Amino acid sequence: MKKTKKNWLEWFVFALGLILVSATLSYLIYAGASMGHEPPSIEVLLGTPEKQQFNFIVPVTVLNHGDETAEGVSIEVVMETGGEVKARGELEVAFLPRHATREGWVTFEQDPRTSQLKARVLGYQKP
Amino acid sequence: MSGRKSAKMKQRTVTESLQEYGRGVAGGLIFSLPLLYTREVWWAGFIAHPYRLIAYVFATFLLLLGYNRYSGLRRDSSMTEVAIDSIEEMGIGVVLGALVLFLLGRITLGMPLIEIIGVVVVGAMTVAIGVSIGTAQLGAGGKEDEGLGGSSARNEIDFGAQMVFALCGAVLFAANMAPTEEIVIIAIETSWAKLMGLAIFSLLIAFLILHYSDFKGAADFVRADHFAVILLGTVVTYAIALGSSALILWFFGSFEGVPLFTALGQTVALGVAATLGASAGRLLLQ
Repeated sequence: MKKTKKNWLEWFVFALGLILVSATLSYLIYAGASMGHEPPSIEVLLGTPEKQQFNFIVPVTVLNHGDETAEGVSIEVVMETGGEVKARGELEVAFLPRHATREGWVTFEQDPRTSQLKARVLGYQKP
Repeated sequence: MSGRKSAKMKQRTVTESLQEYGRGVAGGLIFSLPLLYTREVWWAGFIAHPYRLIAYVFATFLLLLGYNRYSGLRRDSSMTEVAIDSIEEMGIGVVLGALVLFLLGRITLGMPLIEIIGVVVVGAMTVAIGVSIGTAQLGAGGKEDEGLGGSSARNEIDFGAQMVFALCGAVLFAANMAPTEEIVIIAIETSWAKLMGLAIFSLLIAFLILHYSDFKGAADFVRADHFAVILLGTVVTYAIALGSSALILWFFGSFEGVPLFTALGQTVALGVAATLGASAGRLLLQ
């Protein structure tokens, strides 16, 4: 019977593997235990509008505070002046994982800086 | 290098170890790159619940234990050595999977940790199986093989080993296709008669590879002394293929909210790939 003794490199790779795998498992156990069952809870933040060559753009940040992933998140940004809707912008986020952030822009033809901007989430799917 | 050459203890040199890891890396990439390049796999990483990911890690670890126990080079290893090898391969799988996913822009530092871990785990487990197979199969097999008796001297066919090889092959082949939307589309749109056709087609493939086309290794590893044995072997291989297909589909969440018939359709559709893997695995993954 041949018996192979491990050299330092093999022990090093083994130690690294053990640390990586056990750290991953511990984190997953922790994440699973601390994770509730709250459905996607989505917050939309608007940045400062900017003028570009062809239109105006407004940065949009979408955050999911829930414990579940949302698919096909549809967001509407409305430009209002004195309670009257002037224009609408739309944005769709394909996937918004739990506790994740996604960024994008909506565009307007008129200057949004002189009006009031309101953002809301229209809807999303369970993946 | 400390070249102690006693009769019982022989240490591999660092160069030999590096070469072995090199083969592992190559194997890992050969078998799992399609998976790392698939959108649905990235999505599965953050959709799956952490506990499901843990189940996936344990299932992979069991498969690695089985494979490392039975594959050619390590037949004389103790269970501890097998476990150590399996953990090494998982580690390499995680590092390699994370590296490729990072280079592909699928994980970034700005992502929440749970998302990164999810995506890496889903990718890395298949990489780890590939690493294991690469290490065992892709070597020139010169120095390390000596004194093992060789496969030609092994007369008895180990049924357990055959099943483990079938399972490995099935998982490797099926995992690349399981998460794709195409499997769902096939299951929804194909009539039941055609699904039956796919099942028969799968059985024929298994028979063709295992018993008919004089595949490499078929004469050594597959029992074919009686018609009933041939039939049984083919059916068992297909059963393993279907079982592993169903498990992988469950893991990727494909069974959620679908009627039983669609779930069955997905399993049969994926089963064709799994059968190819299982049959070829029984012969080639020794």
